[in-house]
Amino acid sequence: MADEETPRLPEELELQYIQYSPQKEEQHLPAIRQLISKDLSEPYSIYVYRYFLYQWGDLCYMALNPPSSSLIGVIICKLEPHRSGTFRGYIAMLAVHSPYRGRGIASRLVTQAIEAMAAQGADEIVLETEVTNTASLKLYERLGFLRSKRLHRYYLNGNAAFRLVLYLKEGVALKRPGDEGMEDGEILDSLVERGAIS
Amino acid sequence: MADPLIDHNTASDPVLNNVAPYVAPISSHVHASGSNAQATTSADLPLRQSLRRSQSAYEPRVHDITEKFTRASNALDVGQLVKDDYFTLFESIGAIEIMDSKMDSGFLNPGETLEDDYDTLTPLLPEEIIGIMDQLLCYEMAWHTGYPLSQTLFTSVYIDKLLWPEVKILEQAQFYRGTIPDEKRPGPLLQALRAYCLALIKGCDFVIAKITSRDYFEEEDFCTHIYNRVLFMEIPMDVFLRELDAAMEVMKDTDLQINDALRSSIISRLALRKDLLRALDIDLPLEHISYSWPPIHTGIQKLKATHQLGQTVPGSFSTKMQRRLASTVPPRPIVELEFVDALEKLQYLATDCEEATRFVKLPQDPLEYQSFLWSFASRSPAPLSYARSYLATLLFHPGVLESAISLPLLDVKALVFPASSPVLDPSNWTYSPPRNALLSKPPRLEYAMLIDDFADRCGQPYMDLWIALGQNRCRLRRMLTHVIAGWDILQSDASLADETIASASAALGVAEQVFENPLSSWAYHKKLWMLEKILLLGFELDVYLPDEFAGQYLFLSLIATRRRDLLFKIEAHYNKYLSSLVQARNFPDAQDVEDALPYISSLVLNATGTAALSLALARFYIVLLYLRLVPVPARPFSSEQLRYEVRMKPFLGFQPPEVPPFEDFAEHVKPYGAYTSPNPGFDADIGNSESEIWTAIEDALKSAKEAFARVKKLGAQAARAEGVKGVWGKDVQARLASCVAAGVAVAGVKDAVLKRGEEGLGVRVEIPESGEGKRYAEGWVVGRVVKE
Repeated sequence: MADEETPRLPEELELQYIQYSPQKEEQHLPAIRQLISKDLSEPYSIYVYRYFLYQWGDLCYMALNPPSSSLIGVIICKLEPHRSGTFRGYIAMLAVHSPYRGRGIASRLVTQAIEAMAAQGADEIVLETEVTNTASLKLYERLGFLRSKRLHRYYLNGNAAFRLVLYLKEGVALKRPGDEGMEDGEILDSLVERGAIS
Repeated sequence: MADPLIDHNTASDPVLNNVAPYVAPISSHVHASGSNAQATTSADLPLRQSLRRSQSAYEPRVHDITEKFTRASNALDVGQLVKDDYFTLFESIGAIEIMDSKMDSGFLNPGETLEDDYDTLTPLLPEEIIGIMDQLLCYEMAWHTGYPLSQTLFTSVYIDKLLWPEVKILEQAQFYRGTIPDEKRPGPLLQALRAYCLALIKGCDFVIAKITSRDYFEEEDFCTHIYNRVLFMEIPMDVFLRELDAAMEVMKDTDLQINDALRSSIISRLALRKDLLRALDIDLPLEHISYSWPPIHTGIQKLKATHQLGQTVPGSFSTKMQRRLASTVPPRPIVELEFVDALEKLQYLATDCEEATRFVKLPQDPLEYQSFLWSFASRSPAPLSYARSYLATLLFHPGVLESAISLPLLDVKALVFPASSPVLDPSNWTYSPPRNALLSKPPRLEYAMLIDDFADRCGQPYMDLWIALGQNRCRLRRMLTHVIAGWDILQSDASLADETIASASAALGVAEQVFENPLSSWAYHKKLWMLEKILLLGFELDVYLPDEFAGQYLFLSLIATRRRDLLFKIEAHYNKYLSSLVQARNFPDAQDVEDALPYISSLVLNATGTAALSLALARFYIVLLYLRLVPVPARPFSSEQLRYEVRMKPFLGFQPPEVPPFEDFAEHVKPYGAYTSPNPGFDADIGNSESEIWTAIEDALKSAKEAFARVKKLGAQAARAEGVKGVWGKDVQARLASCVAAGVAVAGVKDAVLKRGEEGLGVRVEIPESGEGKRYAEGWVVGRVVKE
């Protein structure tokens, strides 16, 4: 899967899973950016990271390799009321350093994020992933996500995406928006779908 | 579609999902309601008016903020964030970091120049002219597939020269500005390239005009951004045709010393450009459109044969051009499309548009229109945005839509008001309302007024359906769930009208001749039809996971069965009405009713087939689930009930309710209890080839096959798909083939179960992927049984 040589890790390797803490931004943020940027054609600006970490740092989890405390994996999320009337969690970024993939690290990070969002009363959790990214689809689908939409030309490279959704409570589908009109719902939706807002 | 900077590892990357980076400013559903169309769309669908980009030049005003900025930033610690509530994710994604070469398009690496020093006046070889023309065509087609001009055509130095600075008259649009010494003046070859580029740019103007005149999604379907350039919008097409003609004349001139093969290659490129520009012309009269596309195919053949003569010219295209385009978007790679692929796209474009021109020749029948729209939307490969807009423009063309009788009403009539129905009797429209408004109206006048009102009322939901049918496949599925909600309200409004119709019919003593609840039944029928389409699209687009197939096909079967039952009632009414007419020796009307019957029969059989095939597949997948032949994810964070809610969300509000309670659903998809621990009845039944578990599937498949075979026999005309006969026939055939394949799969599993030994079943089931031609019909997923 990766060009780099897979480091021989002892089977009992125990990674350390910790929640992001704003006090350690200087230590962690550059590593997070580096890890995530690796898989992107265009990097996110620092503001994208701060947008999430400043408001939902408690929904960011990191997997560290104890000897050096180097960053192996990270998940970044947000949780806020959505115009559809639900309290919606959104998994914005998830990355695992390539030599360490296939060891359940991503699953563990997602699990922690889901649990944290559920504990905060999330109704549902959504995310998008490329239709060709089978490994990512499998990961989320194993945990319980369903594909709710297919999004045409969602990514800059022209690829389509699936929107994945996980309901955490009963009755979520029946929730309705509050005062905000539904008139231009789809317009906002399309922004959501292009990842611009969620 | 190579995109060099895009890390292709991402595709196989197991753990990266992310918000799409820098999806610059907007993605919106841009809609221009058909000002030239009879019907217009309004706020019922989530559409909005196109934001007209101001194309006029603006006056820049420069403020030096260095000092203020430095002072303000000194007050902050490094990393300290100041964020107000108005700073959204949208803004953060649009932000760039200055001096980061990947984000800041103005950033220069040491020694790098701001612009290339490519000289557009340097004489070129004929081979190079061909090379540039062909490369332009590649970028033009890449643009058609959805990439912005900044990553395609606008990377051409020649195009840039012609467009910027903006010129007042076309003569000034040269590869230079102002006056130049005579010896620098471009020779005939550069003149040919200029004519080619001018026509290409004008073509882009036409394309944008066509697409923005209809419903499309900016950036998702197409990018209309022109970066403050004006694509010769005001200059009429003839001028460009003349430029091309003049260039061809010069090229044909024997004084021009040039190898003949190269000469004719350049001429054929200019000729194709001319044909294409004519075909794209937004003012081309309807009677000419069908002649405009065939020449493109001939032109493509010539290009294909001579492409190897061309030579690329390094430097004539450059990503640095992006810096000249007023835009805050980070530098992005040029989108490279191979020449063969570009020609293929052009070929599909021409074929799809040519197919679309057939629309104007259809009989004026909304059902024929619907069949045509559906078949066009189902074409594979999917028609490009331009082709979809092209068809939509024809559909909403006043010359096509203008009809003496409301189109939705013709649809209503075909389903629920057989010929000579008293409700549509022309004499109803001859009554005048009573002078005294307190007096009750004559029942026949009631009919007329109601029908007129209803025809008006249907206009919008009807247009919404047509608009949805013109969208890309993913949007079609989602938009249908919006459209269907509108039809749900229409159905309930129609119920009120039906009450008045019933009382008017009773007063006239013709209740027997009028189908019960005609209008709401019609709306309901269409609603159920859409619901079936939404579910089938879910299969087609791979939205459902294999372990959901059983439940989703079961739901489809339930919906199709409801539609079938409604149609049975309508058919029974037709037959009763027919015999009463025969009894009354009213043979002309009887004949009319008889003529209308095949349409109903075709609908009945289609619904029967759909209900039966989906039931068979539902039961087949249930068996597979018990046999553990489809993968079932562990799903620690979800429950069946929650997943049921996700799936049923779009349909929960319908009246009458279409979604069964979860308990009913669960009981039907798990007749033997949990899949992991079925009750003993399962083993007994599955091992018995005569048990209902098998016979129910086999019987359902048999009736599906019979029904579809009869649909086929009744033909395209009965199905009101005469205009797309060929495609319609293939579609029915594909469903028949799905029945056969399902039969084979069922037999394969059954055989494995009956012969099962100690070591298990010895078979596995492969789910054919969508969109790869591995399914007979994309919506009908038939697992393939493979021996292990």
